[in-house]
Amino acid sequence: MEFLHDLTIKKFHEGLKKKKFSALEITKEFFDYINDKDKEIEAYLSLNKDFAFKQAEAADLAIAKEEDISELTGVPLAIKDNILIKGLPSTAASKMLENYTASYDATIITKLENEKAVFLGKTNMDEFAMGSSTENSAFKKTKNPYDLERVPGGSSGGSAAAVASSMAIAALGSDTGGSIRQPASFCGVVGLKPTYGAVSRFGLIAMASSLDQIGPIAKTVEDAAILFKSIAGKDKLDSTSVDAKYGDELLNPKLENIKKLKVGLPKEYFIEGLDDYAKKEIEKAIDKIKSLGIEIKEISLPHTKYALSVYYIIMTAEVSANLARFDGIRYSRLKNLEPRNLLDIYLKQKGEGFGPEPRRRAILGTYVLSSGYYDAYYSKAQKVRRLIRNDFDDAFKEVDIILTPVSPTPAFKIGEKTADPLKMYLSDIFTIPLNLAGLPGISIPVRKYEKNKELPVGFQLIGKPFQEADILGLGQFYDRIT
Amino acid sequence: MALITEKELKHLAELARIKLSEHEEKKLLKDVEEILEYFNQLKEVDVSNIEPMTGGTIQKNVFRNDDDPIRKEINATDEDLIEAFPEKEKRFLKVPPVFE
Repeated sequence: MEFLHDLTIKKFHEGLKKKKFSALEITKEFFDYINDKDKEIEAYLSLNKDFAFKQAEAADLAIAKEEDISELTGVPLAIKDNILIKGLPSTAASKMLENYTASYDATIITKLENEKAVFLGKTNMDEFAMGSSTENSAFKKTKNPYDLERVPGGSSGGSAAAVASSMAIAALGSDTGGSIRQPASFCGVVGLKPTYGAVSRFGLIAMASSLDQIGPIAKTVEDAAILFKSIAGKDKLDSTSVDAKYGDELLNPKLENIKKLKVGLPKEYFIEGLDDYAKKEIEKAIDKIKSLGIEIKEISLPHTKYALSVYYIIMTAEVSANLARFDGIRYSRLKNLEPRNLLDIYLKQKGEGFGPEPRRRAILGTYVLSSGYYDAYYSKAQKVRRLIRNDFDDAFKEVDIILTPVSPTPAFKIGEKTADPLKMYLSDIFTIPLNLAGLPGISIPVRKYEKNKELPVGFQLIGKPFQEADILGLGQFYDRIT
Repeated sequence: MALITEKELKHLAELARIKLSEHEEKKLLKDVEEILEYFNQLKEVDVSNIEPMTGGTIQKNVFRNDDDPIRKEINATDEDLIEAFPEKEKRFLKVPPVFE
């Protein structure tokens, strides 16, 4: 298993080209390993064996025929269960969609299929991506590969844990308030939330449409860049997607350009509540970045403390609209349901299909949008959202990248925060502002960590809109000295 | 004064078409009250002359032609979609009666 453990997209591609192994051999090895390891980690909700073997055979055939292949050809990936793959279950870890099979592919899935990537299976998550620990899954509790008594983070906890425990070379997750970056930090892997609009959301089961983005989770920054480059781009089926031109600088950054970047440390992010161990780790990252010869200066993002309130108003409002469609008439119906009439089916389907967190959020969202409270909550939140974005715009006049912690603590114990929703929400205070402002952010492990001994900590690099090249570039050089 | 009453919560749940058990109602009332209290911090922010940020996108008014064959971009046939209906009769989606 040492072999799978060391395998990155880059190394896999080189091995495949030199015919050291076939895609099918590696895919089989992954399933053998998952069969054993996932009993302990519980990262996958469903496996995709038959189809994955066919995909791997197609990749091998392309190589045998000497067709042009990409760096993702044959690469075994794990896909978060809220991303649709035609013919496979897509439950979003909800009882609501327990019997739902996707009727079409998400645009990013089509893109990866065109590159002949291999999909090992669908990964566990918080129900409808609502949570920070993957404990809100209706089906299983995923464990953190670094300490089995702790959570993997969330909501993309299954994807992060799968990559961290070598049950996939890389994975896709989705990020609405930190759901890629926080689990990446907890599991010692790399996670990128792209700029809003950089990646098509078509075929992603929506949580909060003005905040959601799909992005990669990988072992190295370089792998994250490879995956990001292939899924990015304008899509006719998502009118918020943007035709941003990403070139070679994503994959081949130049040190002389990276050295010119200025990095800002916002004082509002290094506050009380930031755990001592996490703080010391982040300081190590800052020192290493300094050692690259990069200028670092303190900056201010004055509206940071309002971000959590703004997020929970806007997100729940959008959730209440997006969850309305799960009515038992479309998509999926609970098996034991014997409706007498239409209202009855709505009440029973939503009452039994949604777990506590989606119910809480749908009701809170209905509240902030209701006529008497709209101005005090939703409208006000949209204005403060603008102020948060303005803070970043001002800061980016002085610096090119902003460095912050990802989460106030390393991975916490399973069950530690489930009773208190507000405490759980605070786990995302450093990641939420980026979603509100639509900015790209990456979580990178500070260093290598030893399993069952240390807890990983990630630091976050925030970039200007559509300047993923800056944070991926600095990240790739950081990886090289780690 | 409580920010939300039991009666209001019941009404919201009804609007959201979510059936709550009595036990859940109590817990939810406490959770929502706490969260709304936290939201109160926004009262101190001065937002006069600030334009609301109404979405995440920089795009404005994205239109397409009605005859744009966008449906062809999706790799699902009509049959695939009909197949996914939870309840059907022939090729129709079956809906329970609205009135009894």
